[in-house]
Amino acid sequence: MARVADLTELAGVAVEAARDHESVEAYAEEARRTEVTAHKGEVEGLTFAESRGVGIRLIANGRLGYAYAADPSLEEVREALARARESAELATEDEFNALPPAEPIEPISALFRQDQAALVTERKVSVALDLEHLAVSADPRVTKVDQAGYGDAVSRVAIASTGGVNAEYGRTDCWAVVSALAEQDGETQAGWSFRVARELGELDWGSVANEAVERSARLLGAVKPASGRVPVVLDPFAGSSFLGVLAGALSAESVQKQRSLFADLLGEAVGSPLLTLVDDGRTLDGPAAAPFDDEGVPTGRTELIAHGTLMAFLHNTYTARRGATDSTGNAKRGGYRTPPGVGTTNFFVLPGATPVSDILRQAEGGVLIQDVSGVHSGANPISGEFSVGATGLRIQGGEVGEPLREMTVASTVPEMLKGIAAVGDDLRFFTAVGVPTILIAEMTVAGV
Amino acid sequence: MLDRELAGQVLRTARARGGSFAELFVEERSSLTIRLDDGKIEELTSGLDRGAGVRVGHGTSFGYAFSNRLDPDALLQAASAAAAAVAEGAAGQVVDLRAQDPPVVHRAERPAEAVPAAQKVAWLREVDDVARAFSPHVRQVSASYGDSVQRVLIATSDGRWVEESRPRIRLGVQVVAGRDGVIQTGFHGPAGLAGVEFFDEHPPAATAEVAAKRAVTMLDAGPAPAGEMPVVLAPGMGGVLFHEACGHPLEADIVDKEASVYRGRIGEVLASSLVTGVDDATIPNAWGSFSFDDEGMPAQRTVLFLDGALQGLMYDRLRAEKDGVASTGNGRRQSYAHPPIPRMTNSHILNGPSKADDVLASTERGVYVTALGGGQTNPASGDFVFGVSEGYRIEGGKITSPVRGANLTGRAIEVMSAVDAVADDFDTWEGVCGKDGQGVPVGSGSPTLRIARITVGGTGG
Repeated sequence: MARVADLTELAGVAVEAARDHESVEAYAEEARRTEVTAHKGEVEGLTFAESRGVGIRLIANGRLGYAYAADPSLEEVREALARARESAELATEDEFNALPPAEPIEPISALFRQDQAALVTERKVSVALDLEHLAVSADPRVTKVDQAGYGDAVSRVAIASTGGVNAEYGRTDCWAVVSALAEQDGETQAGWSFRVARELGELDWGSVANEAVERSARLLGAVKPASGRVPVVLDPFAGSSFLGVLAGALSAESVQKQRSLFADLLGEAVGSPLLTLVDDGRTLDGPAAAPFDDEGVPTGRTELIAHGTLMAFLHNTYTARRGATDSTGNAKRGGYRTPPGVGTTNFFVLPGATPVSDILRQAEGGVLIQDVSGVHSGANPISGEFSVGATGLRIQGGEVGEPLREMTVASTVPEMLKGIAAVGDDLRFFTAVGVPTILIAEMTVAGV
Repeated sequence: MLDRELAGQVLRTARARGGSFAELFVEERSSLTIRLDDGKIEELTSGLDRGAGVRVGHGTSFGYAFSNRLDPDALLQAASAAAAAVAEGAAGQVVDLRAQDPPVVHRAERPAEAVPAAQKVAWLREVDDVARAFSPHVRQVSASYGDSVQRVLIATSDGRWVEESRPRIRLGVQVVAGRDGVIQTGFHGPAGLAGVEFFDEHPPAATAEVAAKRAVTMLDAGPAPAGEMPVVLAPGMGGVLFHEACGHPLEADIVDKEASVYRGRIGEVLASSLVTGVDDATIPNAWGSFSFDDEGMPAQRTVLFLDGALQGLMYDRLRAEKDGVASTGNGRRQSYAHPPIPRMTNSHILNGPSKADDVLASTERGVYVTALGGGQTNPASGDFVFGVSEGYRIEGGKITSPVRGANLTGRAIEVMSAVDAVADDFDTWEGVCGKDGQGVPVGSGSPTLRIARITVGGTGG
């Protein structure tokens, strides 16, 4: 069977096979990934990957069917369309099911870097080895890593629909990750860091190694804190974990299904006046920038919370129709295997004016949290209650001091947002979420 | 999916520069997912996945290349790419491929693929009806039905030829209950390596009731107590804790990286003498079971703790070769797109001598945990944290009011040593375990058990 090299052709075949009363969209993607991990001065693993696939969304009489196929031939694309058609017949009719109309899309050429796409494997291996070497040579207490790796991807997406959408773009991404292990007197502590960039020349992997080392070593000698209500400083690593909970609550999908703690609060104060929370699919400061979302709607900027007031929710075409508003360009899917839901792009807290040193001075007697675990399980996205495990450091005399372990931090999301007493000037992006250092006036910290 | 001649050619190409072994993993997976939400069948997704991965081992290092093309060109290209990870050397041998007999076969009596999608839609409708009828406080129901058949073919340079078909089925139900501004959720999601006969034992209506009861009960929850106290874990939940706190640090790659609290401690008593824990991929039709692992090794039962004494680790091929032991059949991968790593299958704490009623009656004050929301462990220190999604106070030996916002934190060895009662009412809990970016189906299981002292994080007194 003849193979087809072009994504747009694959997507086009599905659209051509649509019947008169059907709306059909094909989402085609392909990616080439390399990952290298290093351990004890050698390459631990080297992975090359090539993948592509097509997902087909079919709407007939308000009923939605979906089918996908990995690396399909043209014939298999038509078969997938037939399966989507059968599925649609069993789905419930929903008047808001629709494909977006075609809109002009402004490309973002900076997402694709030719140098990165052409990077040779030897260079990637040397970065992974260097990452591990840097991590185990920075501090005598850190002699090994749990993980040190470099990875990159060159990918392309094409979307075509009976609604006239016909768009594609390519991107390059690379990243470095280190999880360092610090040891002293039989105690082991792990510290983690991660950075992502569009090309190797912009990836500061040395700082990834250094940060992981510092964050593991400073936890050595950790003790359990006493229980009490104290000022809490969330560093960007810890803060980013909480943003995930907020992202779910700000999706119109959650709101419309009564699964959001923000459901009835549009226009009301939901946080401290210091808090402004933004989703911006076009800013190049964030790694998740893209010219259009996962159903071909141009991306944009949405202020979700402005100076503490809830202004908007994130929408895709479906939720926008249901809510009688416009899509914010936040259709998101987990690849070609799933139809689009609602998700964030670059989702971040606008940085404030307060230097971190001032925040530490304001938090005297409190705790700096550097890592939280179990947010995904320990936080209830609907009620907003959470109680999560944390590691961190006591704040004494305007500086971080004694390390703390087996600590839990409990509060509710609304209480936490209202309790924001300072926002740092050190915005840092982790994949798609970004947050500066944040001071919460008071939270319950339990140890004992 | 592939003939032996081509498989042999791929393996020889992969060993062109030597290395300690080469392996080809080919997969075809067809699946159906149906999602009900907000009273509507929102979507039916039908999927067809396929691809192949070629791995070349070299000490504990490896090269891995995969593609979702299965034509000879693509496979040979992947083999060359994987071989490139190995330093230049003499070509390695490829032994004639011989089919292996499975130690256990997990058969679907009534294959899901033969059941019309309309029947599966009807099960979801039933779930929606039952959950909504459970209480007027039920606000929202979402449920997903999924079945899949994963056909794998594994060929290795030392002559293994393994073919297996793994039918999986799962029904997950999430219920949201609300009253007077309080909102709570409840989830239940039994799953098996089976056909639709799975629902004879786990009727959709019963799953809906468990999820609805969980959400509605928690509406009355007060703040959880905080501090150290006895905690009684309901059947299955001890298994979830065992998986996270003990299981992960017993995976040989974690130990090899010197990131495990159990490293070098085999033979030592590191849990209460009441604790015997196993990892068992041979349990018929269990969610985490298989006939062969994803490296072609037969499924087996591995004793991890015997009467509290640490017995051994869970190995994949790379780590077993390094330690000079046999693989325990724990080499698993999410798909052809992932190299195998040591993973749990069904990790269970076995029944003990007590009765659950007696365990509760002899607990003066504490917390009874009926659902954990998942958790995280630092395998290096053994520190862990778990959210409690359904829990109750124990007062005067009786289960009293529900509590919210609780979590459990502790260290693996201390907590497992503090187990002072194990009952005889074993049950399981199914989930998808994530590690190194790979999700695989795992089972957990345990009877009712009590931890004499553990830190409960909460906001109440």
